[in-house]
Amino acid sequence: MLTVSDLRVSYGQIEVIHGVSIEVQEGECVALIGANGAGKSSTLKAICGLVTATSGTITFEGQDITNQSGHNIVRAGITMCPEGRQVFPQMTTLQNLRMGAYARRDDEQAIDLEEMMNMFPILRERKHQAAGTLSGGEQEMLAIARALMARPRLCIFDEPSLGLAPKIVAEVGATIKRIKKMGKTILLVEQNSLMALRLADRAYLFEAGEIVLSGTGEELQSHPEVVKAYLGH
Amino acid sequence: MIEILQQIINGMAIGGVYVLIALGLTTVFGILGIAHFAHGSVSMFGGYLTFFFVVTWGLPLIAAIVIALLVGLILGILIELLAYRPVRNANHINAFIVALGLTMMVEGLNLEFFGHEQVVIPTDFSWVFKIGGVTIPELRLYTILAAALLIAAMTIFVEKTKTGQAIRAVAENRDAAILMGVNVNTIPLVVFSISTALGVCAGVMVGALFAIAPGIGEGLVVKGFAVLILGGLGSIPGAVVGGLVDGGPARPGSVPHGGRNRPDGRNDPKGIRRAGPQLCNACGGLRDLGGGGLRVRHVFGQYPECGCALV
Amino acid sequence: MKMKALTAALAMFGTAGFAAEKQLDIGVSDALTGGAAVYGLPQSNAVQMAAEEINAAGGIKVGDDTYMLNVIAYDDKANPTEASNAVRKLIDRDSVKFILGFCCSGATGAVASFIENEDAVMLVGNAAERSITTREIPNLVRTRPPADYTGAAAGTFVAEKGHKKVAVLGALDVGFYASYVDAFEKELNKAGGAIVTRESFGLKDRDMSPQLTKIREMQPDAILVVGYVEPAAFIYRQAVELGIDVPRYGFTSGSEEQFLRVASSEQMEGVWDLRPTELTLLSASDNGIAYHKNYSEKFGIAPSPSSPYAYDQTYALKDAIEAAGTVDDTEAVAAALRALAVPDEVVMQYLPVDKKMFDVNGQAYTSNGAFQWQSGNWVFVQDLPSDAAAYSAFLSTID
Repeated sequence: MLTVSDLRVSYGQIEVIHGVSIEVQEGECVALIGANGAGKSSTLKAICGLVTATSGTITFEGQDITNQSGHNIVRAGITMCPEGRQVFPQMTTLQNLRMGAYARRDDEQAIDLEEMMNMFPILRERKHQAAGTLSGGEQEMLAIARALMARPRLCIFDEPSLGLAPKIVAEVGATIKRIKKMGKTILLVEQNSLMALRLADRAYLFEAGEIVLSGTGEELQSHPEVVKAYLGH
Repeated sequence: MIEILQQIINGMAIGGVYVLIALGLTTVFGILGIAHFAHGSVSMFGGYLTFFFVVTWGLPLIAAIVIALLVGLILGILIELLAYRPVRNANHINAFIVALGLTMMVEGLNLEFFGHEQVVIPTDFSWVFKIGGVTIPELRLYTILAAALLIAAMTIFVEKTKTGQAIRAVAENRDAAILMGVNVNTIPLVVFSISTALGVCAGVMVGALFAIAPGIGEGLVVKGFAVLILGGLGSIPGAVVGGLVDGGPARPGSVPHGGRNRPDGRNDPKGIRRAGPQLCNACGGLRDLGGGGLRVRHVFGQYPECGCALV
Repeated sequence: MKMKALTAALAMFGTAGFAAEKQLDIGVSDALTGGAAVYGLPQSNAVQMAAEEINAAGGIKVGDDTYMLNVIAYDDKANPTEASNAVRKLIDRDSVKFILGFCCSGATGAVASFIENEDAVMLVGNAAERSITTREIPNLVRTRPPADYTGAAAGTFVAEKGHKKVAVLGALDVGFYASYVDAFEKELNKAGGAIVTRESFGLKDRDMSPQLTKIREMQPDAILVVGYVEPAAFIYRQAVELGIDVPRYGFTSGSEEQFLRVASSEQMEGVWDLRPTELTLLSASDNGIAYHKNYSEKFGIAPSPSSPYAYDQTYALKDAIEAAGTVDDTEAVAAALRALAVPDEVVMQYLPVDKKMFDVNGQAYTSNGAFQWQSGNWVFVQDLPSDAAAYSAFLSTID
């Protein structure tokens, strides 16, 4: 479904991604793990059109989307739930959710809105509240729901557990599992490698802008290098 | 009581104009972070254009306004594309300089096309409504209603339409808005065309209520920013409240015995003596009434700094 | 320089006893450019025109000699420094002894402060600030009456109309407008009336409704508007819009066209303008009509209403030189000016004091007129009750 091949990304003179290739199949949950600054987020941003790829290609459902502008990639069916939630703080919960469906032109948006609020009851309670006044966990739920409002075929989560209380992290994990069950294709970036590997069908390990390891979630969970460096037993 | 009511009514018309200017400025600032100084001059351009259509071509007022609005829309798009877009990713000082340059350009354009004479847009609205002791001139009433209508339309547009929500979203979080599928290249065009159209409406109102002349646009934009700062940058409700406050009770002379006039009704020379450099009343030149300036002026009735000394 | 050499040569012939035609240089210092050029340039043109007329009629006769006038005009931009430099240049370099023009108070005041020490005579035109003629400078005269002289006449007129409570709205931070109102108030008080409020505005103000609303609450019998045409037009219009239906008086000197740009004729109906009669075709004498015609033909534009102040200076100077019988003794010419009857050729309608054009202060007085807006035009209704002698006595008491 999504194929990234030999992707290179530079910020100014400095290259941060040195030829990365990723494959995501329909219905799969793929995790990218690795330390801070290993290049996971930059890879995602390149896929979403927020940063420019210096070389390499990105294809989605057979269509070349390399260096397309961000809004075209959304229309192609890829939605990202960005790192740090990035809700629109002064807009209400409801307005945030509706923004999620911005690119859609169909008439089932109201139904989806209802569905999201059933899925996340807390959002119904907070629907007229400015998103900036929600708690971190609530904002994460809002960001996820907002991403789903676009009815994406590929849903990208960038560090969904970052900065959340442990109890909420578990809740986020459970939510992603539910989304996976809905049949969505998921690309997940997480520093919480254990959670990521438990959720993922397959995973890639990033180190200094390169992929050093790849395999199924179970394989990586038991790989000695990964265990030593990232899982901390 | 009647006096206070009357002062509020007086202030509402010009307050409405300030609100329209401030709305244009606040949306532009919200989306692009640009202090769009040329906004006032562009408004005046719209006013001049309307005057031109009415007086030279003999078009009916409404038709003239509609054409001026369309020209305003196009002008707004051109300004965004040609002036601000090239410096969008550059340091903010570049946009600042462009804004100042643009102000001079549009002012120059106005002077070139329409001359330095003040113009008043002629209207047939000379009826005066009297309710109790309060009078409302027909023209002012229409101005207030039109301003209210435009503010309501703008609010509905921003709050209830997808494009309006996208404008807010870009203002609040540009990257997140891209992730929602918002085309951040077209939003500034929409914003500039809307804000310019609002500015043109304000220009027409100023031109019909008072007059359009070189320099008025700059005064208007200063007022607009004052309103914005009063109401909070980027906030539409803030702009509305700020404009009405600024248009009404805050004006000199509207507060009984405040400002320049002493309670006994005599003119207070100290009241006139505002701090710092200011424009000469006679020629518009810069003068400074601090110390010596005032003294010499009292002897020969003129302002040595600007040297105009009209009779 | 050639001209000057010629003048010197002619002067030598003169001393040799020939009845010869000589040249007399007279200077003009006025605003030829800048914002005040609307007043200064027409004045300079008027002097030029008068000089040519005088030359064509045979020049100025002093004893056996006949002098042809040559005008040297410098631009003082209505700026005090520029005016001082211009006058210094005229006196020191061009050896001019008679300096005319002077439209504007600031520049005029600066020159007036040192002219007493110079071997020259200064003739002031349109500058209206009173203090220019309060110091009795012997070698200075002025053709335009001070603003407060007109203000006093206006006050008497309004008081005679029976108004007791008058509200003033004016450009009161401009000195001569304030002095107009002060003089107005004095006459009004004499008749038992009073100014109930003085509201101010700036030249760029166009919304006077706050001030007018305040005035409306005071329920005056009349309002008085002093200021430049544009703000005044907005005041007249907004007064109607606020339902103020008391008589409106003003001191603005605006043309019909200028007012109609802002207010409709209906909104202007009945407004009074109380000002020096100056040059208006409706009230013009034969001289005035001829002046308007000649000026328009010569310069391709109608003369400004105040430009004859400078035209009249030139004829006053001619008569004074002929009476004094000298072009060199400036004291004698200055004294002759003070003793002069009103020349026949002048355009403005002067009111002589003791049968003289200029009083002991060197001040001339014109009639003041009451003009009223009637169906789209300013109509001259009557002369204002102007008391030149009384004002002259009053002026002598001020330093």
